[in-house]
Amino acid sequence: MAANGKHLKHKTVRLTKADHVFNVVVDIFMIFILVIIIIPVWSTITLSFRPNDYLGSNLEGMFLPPWEWSPDAYTALLGNDGFLDAFLNSFKILIGGVATALILTIPMAYVLSVQSLPGRKIINLIVIIPYVFNVGMIPTYLLVRDVGLMNHLAAVFVPGAISTYNCIIMRQFFIGIPNELKESARIDGCSELQVLFRIILPLSKAIVMTIGLYYGVSFWNDFFNAMLYLNDNQPLPILLRNILLASGMNEYVEVNAFGNAPVSAIKAASVFMSAIPMVIAYPFIQKYFTKGTLLGSVKG
Amino acid sequence: MRKVKGFLLVVLALLIAMPVFASGSGETKQAAGTPEDPVSIDLWFGAAITEAGMIPEDWVGYDIIRNELGIDLHLTMLPSNESDQDVRIQAAGAANELPDIFMVRRPVLVNLVEQGLVAQVDDCFAKMPVRTALIYDENAIAHATVEGNVYGFASPGAIVRNEGLLVRKDWLDKLGLSVPTTLDEFMEVARAFTFEDPDGNGRDDTYGYGAFVETDATLKGYPGSRLWPIMGAFGVEGLWSFDSETAGLSIYKPEFYDFMVTLKGMCDEGIIDPNWLSYKKDDFRAAWKQGRFGIMYEQNAAYAATANYAPFDANFPDGEWIVIDAIEGPDGKASIGAYDMNYRIYAVSQKAADEGKLDKICELLEWMSSDEGYYLLGWGQEGVNYVFDEDGIPVAGDLGDNAFTGSKGQVVTQLRNMVFYNGDVELASRYPTYVTEVSGKTMSALTTLREMQAKKWTNAIGSGTMPTPNADVQRYYDQSLAEFLTGAKELTQENWQAFIDQFNAIGGAAWNEEGIAKMQADGLIR
Amino acid sequence: MSTLKTKGKSKDLVLQRPLKSKLRREIVRHRSVYLLALLPLVYYIIFKYVPIWNAQIAFKDFKAIRGVVGSEWIGLENFRTFVNSFYFWSLLRNTVMYSVGKLIISLPLSIVLAICIYECTKPGLRKVVQTLAYLPHFLSWVIMYGILLSLLAPGDGVVNDIIKLLGGKPIDFLSNVKAFPWVVLFSDAWKEMGWSAIIFIAALMGIDVSLFEAAMVEGANSWQRVRYITFPAIMPVIVTVVILKLGTILDAGFNQIFMLYSPQVYSVADIIDTWVYRQGLLEFEFGLATAVGLFKGVFGMILVLFANWLSKKLTENSLF
Repeated sequence: MAANGKHLKHKTVRLTKADHVFNVVVDIFMIFILVIIIIPVWSTITLSFRPNDYLGSNLEGMFLPPWEWSPDAYTALLGNDGFLDAFLNSFKILIGGVATALILTIPMAYVLSVQSLPGRKIINLIVIIPYVFNVGMIPTYLLVRDVGLMNHLAAVFVPGAISTYNCIIMRQFFIGIPNELKESARIDGCSELQVLFRIILPLSKAIVMTIGLYYGVSFWNDFFNAMLYLNDNQPLPILLRNILLASGMNEYVEVNAFGNAPVSAIKAASVFMSAIPMVIAYPFIQKYFTKGTLLGSVKG
Repeated sequence: MRKVKGFLLVVLALLIAMPVFASGSGETKQAAGTPEDPVSIDLWFGAAITEAGMIPEDWVGYDIIRNELGIDLHLTMLPSNESDQDVRIQAAGAANELPDIFMVRRPVLVNLVEQGLVAQVDDCFAKMPVRTALIYDENAIAHATVEGNVYGFASPGAIVRNEGLLVRKDWLDKLGLSVPTTLDEFMEVARAFTFEDPDGNGRDDTYGYGAFVETDATLKGYPGSRLWPIMGAFGVEGLWSFDSETAGLSIYKPEFYDFMVTLKGMCDEGIIDPNWLSYKKDDFRAAWKQGRFGIMYEQNAAYAATANYAPFDANFPDGEWIVIDAIEGPDGKASIGAYDMNYRIYAVSQKAADEGKLDKICELLEWMSSDEGYYLLGWGQEGVNYVFDEDGIPVAGDLGDNAFTGSKGQVVTQLRNMVFYNGDVELASRYPTYVTEVSGKTMSALTTLREMQAKKWTNAIGSGTMPTPNADVQRYYDQSLAEFLTGAKELTQENWQAFIDQFNAIGGAAWNEEGIAKMQADGLIR
Repeated sequence: MSTLKTKGKSKDLVLQRPLKSKLRREIVRHRSVYLLALLPLVYYIIFKYVPIWNAQIAFKDFKAIRGVVGSEWIGLENFRTFVNSFYFWSLLRNTVMYSVGKLIISLPLSIVLAICIYECTKPGLRKVVQTLAYLPHFLSWVIMYGILLSLLAPGDGVVNDIIKLLGGKPIDFLSNVKAFPWVVLFSDAWKEMGWSAIIFIAALMGIDVSLFEAAMVEGANSWQRVRYITFPAIMPVIVTVVILKLGTILDAGFNQIFMLYSPQVYSVADIIDTWVYRQGLLEFEFGLATAVGLFKGVFGMILVLFANWLSKKLTENSLF
């Protein structure tokens, strides 16, 4: 965690009035954020645990005591025949996607960060033009068809395997690493590749993890590519969207597709499925969010 | 340095693996169509219960279809959302990657036909005598006809006239009111429901009429079908009028303005649930179950099917809705709404026809309408997914999870919309009579359906084939009417006329003329 | 490529020789870097530039049967259709309003949130906020609409209940043209603030803590510290994010608007992307849809180049 809980300054210097005001303002803002974030999240959580025979309003539902909660929505969702398959497909997309994305993005970001590289500006332009000129669905669809990725899980992540946005953000972090470090490595006879592996990457764990997370979440939740390119082997977002937008649900079925659980609870529960990789990965990533990562490396 | 080499190796492996990854699709061998050498047919279908998941790979149907028809069937479930479906199919169309046979909405079909991507199937009906007799009647064929040629197989979708005007009987009784028959009485009841605390909870939390905006491009013009009973009182229900005197867009009728004044009045008075402009379907359905309003327009099963009525039953054991007659307007007009036949079109791609698959596809469709196909696709396997009751109706019996209504069994009925034609067996099976849990009422969505169908409706058959406007004209139409209702634009005769003029100028007039021409060409004017 | 560039730059023939050899030396020295760039560049050419080549359908009457190359050229017809469409200016205005609005509201909020998380002296509070702040990102707009409705509905929304309690008139936030843009902007900030803050938190972690010690010795208070150390330290990342966002200035958040809008607020809600969806993607007008994509790109490119130039002048940070 950040700064191991305490700022160095607090031990050595007395806090002035301005410092106290500052801390109060920060705390108030944090509490405010906490409140406005907890409300929708909490209402969705309670909604997902709502029992079938619950009659009150949504507002009252937020204060339903946990012992009256019902896991029906989750058991129904997990018990859905398609769920496990969809989950596995999503998992494959996640792993394949993040690996491919990082293998492509890290070198690209590094190349763009080498200030002395002849032709850097041209490479920069090559990278930025497709970002700005988003040509849309059909030109990309035709490409996916032509490279034979149709109905292959890779079609979900390959077209977006380098997000220029992520790439340039990562480059910015690489640039931020003090030049002395890179230079001294070069003087020691390191090649550029060695500089990347020995200097840059060890110092960039936080950003590499963050960008990996951004990729992971976008692949995990990608609905549009999956809908366009996959026939069978559909991943989780397709199933979840079918649940969220199921229009015929109320009209034609004599029974609910999910047995006992109320439709609204199923919908709410399905939301949390999309946050799974994040909830699992974020605590790990936070470990690398440590203040002054660079400091130690410069001195040591 | 080892790390570097490792990295390069991974990269190299990836480069080599890419084509391997990519392969595995596309086989172009001409097949004989025998069980040993089956013809491969790709079918993109609209699932009966999309959210329940895909038909399992070990489904018996695959073997039966292979062995009996020599067809290797590949199924793909289309997304449940209509717009998603349209995008998906048109993207595949743009890449000339359409499957052999696929479900498609008519506006999209028209686009695909224009692109030459869809095969003509005029000659196919003779090859499927049973199915044609059962399903493809004149209206159905007309629905899949584009400029004189048939480009698809239209089978019946939702049941016709399956919606109705419902009133809270218990509220009427409590306030000593009778069932409204005229627009004035209707307004009185709506007022009483709003201001006289019909649920007796001492709070000002009820409204007269409840609705949401449910529109489409051919039948349900803004403000949508949920207001049809009120529009019907003015004779302006349905986007198009097929009446010989007023043929064209209903919006041109002078009564449309009167209707708008009435609706605006209801909004201003607060006797229509003010949330109606923001509600989506689910919100609306949650609202009547919570007793927010006492008059509504609702679909038979959404109101009366077991799972849908249960929450209302629990909330209001003494509550009771009744289906009432259409409201009579100032000039004696009355209608519950406008109806068109509902169809699902299955079209065959030109590519499949070029590969000579059309005959096999006809064989497959004809088989679906045989007894074997009908029950297999509709209910699954006898004894496993359903049993027949004494009346010959397939029922769940005590088959539990594996029954066609159970969580495991329901997926084998995903293709049922391809075989159902709203026959009596289906309806009896779909809408069983039951006793409600809390209040012990005897209910049946089928009885409700018959009641609703018996009311006065406006025939608008053929609406589904009418031309659709471009996005700007559509937006102008919807937005202007909405702004009149919210008060963003003042609703006066002059402003109304100005709206009509501008509407005409940006393409409304052309749209109207195109529509009238279509009506004349197809003999739709009555 | 690099030689081309030098040719353009070096007009002096005398200087060319040493320059050239210096360049060659530089290129040779960086050969492993070029090797590193090889795979990503191949990726770019296949997966980013082939689609751009396919985008020629913007200038064509695209017919699926004939394919990209075989379709007929029609010049700027598709662009004209878009620019001359009835609502063009309204679409453009709304789009710019929302993307600029989000840049002004959501972005600063996420920066402030990141700094607050960094500066917070209560470890418990910081940990909780840092762990939860990103969660709303995962609530899809379908779900968000439900939440907004229960808060803002004119009939029984919580906010309107409060307004009524205070004696005010209920506001139909979701169908009122004055209120709707604010609902869009603030619900976006609400949903995405924590998610976008993550990148700034990562940037803050790179700050050299010894700078703070020095500042303390100088007697700087917390405000000054934030102003002179913390904020400047993440400035390069902020500038990068802003320039990148300007590049997609005409993307105003399709999913959000598509879920929230309705006819009564079309006049302030319809954006370019929702129009393209209705008129292009749903109507098989793929040439038109692609043309609008290119139109947006030209807009974005101009802004990126301008912002890049400006930031080079003002902050010495730039993309290229």
